[in-house]
Amino acid sequence: MSLRTPLSQARGLGAAKEGAGHWWAQRLTSAFLVPLVLWGAFSVAMLGDLSHAGLVAWVQKPLVSAPLIALLLVVFWHLELGLRVIVEDYVHLAWLKVAVIVLVDFAVLLLAVAAVAAVAGIAFR
Amino acid sequence: MPKAYEPQEHVVDVVVVGAGGAGLRAVFGMAQEGLKTACITKVFPTRSHTVAAQGGISAALGNMGEDDWRWHMYDTVKGSDWLGDQDAIEYMCKEAAASIIELEHYGVPFSRTGSGHIYQRPFGGMTTHYGKGIAQRTCAAADRTGHAILHTLYQQSLKHNAEFFVEYFALDLVMDDSGACTGVVAWDLATGRLHLFRARIVLLATGGYGRAYFSCTSAHTCTGDGNGMVLRAGLPLQDLEFVQFHPTGIYGAGCLITEGVRGEGGYLTNAAGERFMERYAPNAKDLASRDVVSRSMTIEINEGRGVGPQQDHIHLHLEHLGPEVIEKRLPGISESARIFAGVDVTKEPIPVLPTVHYNMGGIPTNYHGEVIQLRNGNPEDVVPGLMAIGEAACVSVHGANRLGSNSLLDLIVFGRAAAKRAAELLEARHAKAPPAPAASVERILDRFDRIRHADGDQPTAALRLEMQKIMQTYAAVFRTGGNLEEGLARVRDVHARFSRVRVADRSLIWNTDLVETLELANLLPQAVCTVAGALNRLESRGAHARDDYPERDDDNWMKHTLLHFDDATGDVGIHYRPVHLRTLTDEAQVVPPQARVY
Amino acid sequence: MAKFRLPANSIVRKGRYYAAAGASRGGRIRRFVVYRYDAAAGGNPRTDTYEVDLDDCGPMVLDALIKIKNETDSTLAFRRSCREGICGSCSMNICGRNTLACTRAISDVRGDVRVFPLPHLPVIRDLVPDLTHFYAQYASIKPWMRTQTPPPPDRERLQSVEDRDKLDGLEECILCACCSTSCPSYWWNGDRYLGPAILLQAYRWIADSRDEAAGERLDEIEDPFKLYRCHTIMNCADACPKGLNPAKAIAEIKKLLVARRF
Repeated sequence: MSLRTPLSQARGLGAAKEGAGHWWAQRLTSAFLVPLVLWGAFSVAMLGDLSHAGLVAWVQKPLVSAPLIALLLVVFWHLELGLRVIVEDYVHLAWLKVAVIVLVDFAVLLLAVAAVAAVAGIAFR
Repeated sequence: MPKAYEPQEHVVDVVVVGAGGAGLRAVFGMAQEGLKTACITKVFPTRSHTVAAQGGISAALGNMGEDDWRWHMYDTVKGSDWLGDQDAIEYMCKEAAASIIELEHYGVPFSRTGSGHIYQRPFGGMTTHYGKGIAQRTCAAADRTGHAILHTLYQQSLKHNAEFFVEYFALDLVMDDSGACTGVVAWDLATGRLHLFRARIVLLATGGYGRAYFSCTSAHTCTGDGNGMVLRAGLPLQDLEFVQFHPTGIYGAGCLITEGVRGEGGYLTNAAGERFMERYAPNAKDLASRDVVSRSMTIEINEGRGVGPQQDHIHLHLEHLGPEVIEKRLPGISESARIFAGVDVTKEPIPVLPTVHYNMGGIPTNYHGEVIQLRNGNPEDVVPGLMAIGEAACVSVHGANRLGSNSLLDLIVFGRAAAKRAAELLEARHAKAPPAPAASVERILDRFDRIRHADGDQPTAALRLEMQKIMQTYAAVFRTGGNLEEGLARVRDVHARFSRVRVADRSLIWNTDLVETLELANLLPQAVCTVAGALNRLESRGAHARDDYPERDDDNWMKHTLLHFDDATGDVGIHYRPVHLRTLTDEAQVVPPQARVY
Repeated sequence: MAKFRLPANSIVRKGRYYAAAGASRGGRIRRFVVYRYDAAAGGNPRTDTYEVDLDDCGPMVLDALIKIKNETDSTLAFRRSCREGICGSCSMNICGRNTLACTRAISDVRGDVRVFPLPHLPVIRDLVPDLTHFYAQYASIKPWMRTQTPPPPDRERLQSVEDRDKLDGLEECILCACCSTSCPSYWWNGDRYLGPAILLQAYRWIADSRDEAAGERLDEIEDPFKLYRCHTIMNCADACPKGLNPAKAIAEIKKLLVARRF
């Protein structure tokens, strides 16, 4: 049982004065994803040649590689935002929460860089 | 055995019992004055019954037409049927405007006029030019004014860091040998621990005792606990025979439908569809004062003109007001009528019945809120250390009948006054709360322990129901001597049988069986005193209407009844206190007694 | 971390069965299955079942609970006061929905009437939960008028009808906690998340044209936990017995927090 007053517990460490940015970014990335995902899905669907060579040739077009990189960046950004919310919701142990968030961020960063590097590698081959 | 309770001791300047409108207004007023104040309350503050007040709070702001606090004073004196103390009424009406403006500054979300001022509506008995015109004097926050005010007062109490002891049930006043009050003992429902609050002033703001009746608009918690404690302390209660029946309680459920409905243009009809109030009050009609309307409705029903299959109620119409007015001004009662009467108020009338609503009587006080008693021939001897405000108190500003929207005003004005007075009285801040006499505390613990382990054959709920039915039958809108005698014998019998009460629950934690039994112990003496006072008063005045004495008798009865109660025998001792036919200042004239017609 | 095992003594066992008295047997009998627990006594909670003759009972669930307490089992503990839906005392979970017992008609629920305390709060006894933290959260948002400009000395602050209308749907809150305790986010993170009721109260002041502290108020709640645990699940709006929409108030707060960045 805590001997702190209920008000002290309710106030905790006060407001982080942060969260609006996260919330806005989540909305923004969702909005960006709509055209990008539509474009991606539509383009792949229209692509006749789904062989490795065909796909490489497709990615090498500047009007494909640029939006593809944008799509990947936004996807991973959105992923990071969403995963963070889930961790905050369900992980209650303070140190574990921070650790998981750091790991998730790092993993998403690696994945994002790897994905972008892969596309860039093909595009500037 | 009671030693086992070992009350935890608190030493404060003031302990306020009750956190309704009056209690909260006093609590933060005292906190503002720098007094160390504790507020103990049996329900969380915003659950107090002030929250259910609907129509509004009166003050001669003149936002919607000319107004003057002297007219308000005249109306209140007339409404009180000349039993109100005119100095206190003057004080209340004069302080009204400043008190309400203060409330607005605290953030009460009042409805507004087109110019941005507080919206005011007409209410029963509120007139201009000493009875000539209809005043728009009742400041409203839609039809949830009590809710708006109570929440705001709690917010102010938070702002001023007032200390609350929530869900503590006050057991009894600690009195010393000289008759001064030195504290109060309370029971913490959550932990089961008893607490002794030693205080230089105990302020009772415990509300009325509507639950002495079977059908009332009052909450289940309106059990007059402060009044009960005062009677046990050997002090008198005043004017209990004056019980207000609100004309428009929902038929069956008893929930309140505000007088504001009639203020906004609603009206009552009988079985013939007749607007019968035109016959009883040709000028004010449906906006006559509450006792008049309740009596008229009762006569209509008694003479066979009631509506419904049993011809036992009356219709309240507001469908003609149109959905916009209803939506804007009366949203809460539309909801209540739908839930509790199954009525769509835009299409059908609401079935209503006069329902017990308010106790004009209570703990006698002066206009500072100090409790007074008859001692050594002085009917206004101040009881040291004890104050009372709100419905629990009888200042008396409402006399024999309260005007609608004057009760919220009473709470605010006298809550404020009590805080100021307490600060004056306690100016020597270094003085500490007096010690609590051990014998007095011992008696309180003994009684608590006895009731807690009560093992008789009379269940609390059965005794309570019996009392409520008796009160409903015998201390009703119309009374007669024979009836009252019978009622008194019967309610005294119930009181006598309380000694055989049974409490099934022995726990100390949230033992609501015990709470209800302690509440019944508070209600019963008030019920007996109410009937005894009514039997004793051989006249008709305000809410007290005797068939056998239909006229007001100023020569013999323009006086307050002081009722003492002997809990051991059930005997009621009756004394009197003169009505104040004087004003505080020469800004207002005494309103001389005259015939009361609306 | 989310817990996958129940704490000790958390399984609700079947308790006693109280049949209606002989004379009432012929009436319309409904069974009320009521949660019983005594923290002081310890042990497991249980559900007692009471038969109630509806022909001899008021229409609301609260009427039945009072009848049970008066006539069958006076040890049953619950809060109640105004019985007309304005004080907010008798909030509880009736057949899976948080609501006020005094305004929930028995005829509106089908089958056995299952009455439980508000979910996810510590229970003191029976249907009485501990609302201390909820009230402390209310105090934490400083829910009072904050201004710097002194009010006019002899009259009210002015407010237009339109500005006053903005408080409709906000100031009617009765602090019954039905919404907050119906919110999964409040269940998981109620220690830090303010919950719908308190955020609605916060917005009540932000929306008040007379108040001068909208910025501070927004500062005080802009926090991943205090505010942004709201994931627009909307249980709050569904639960509110007064028909208010706390989710909308929270959405307005979020909008304002973005608006002030541009």
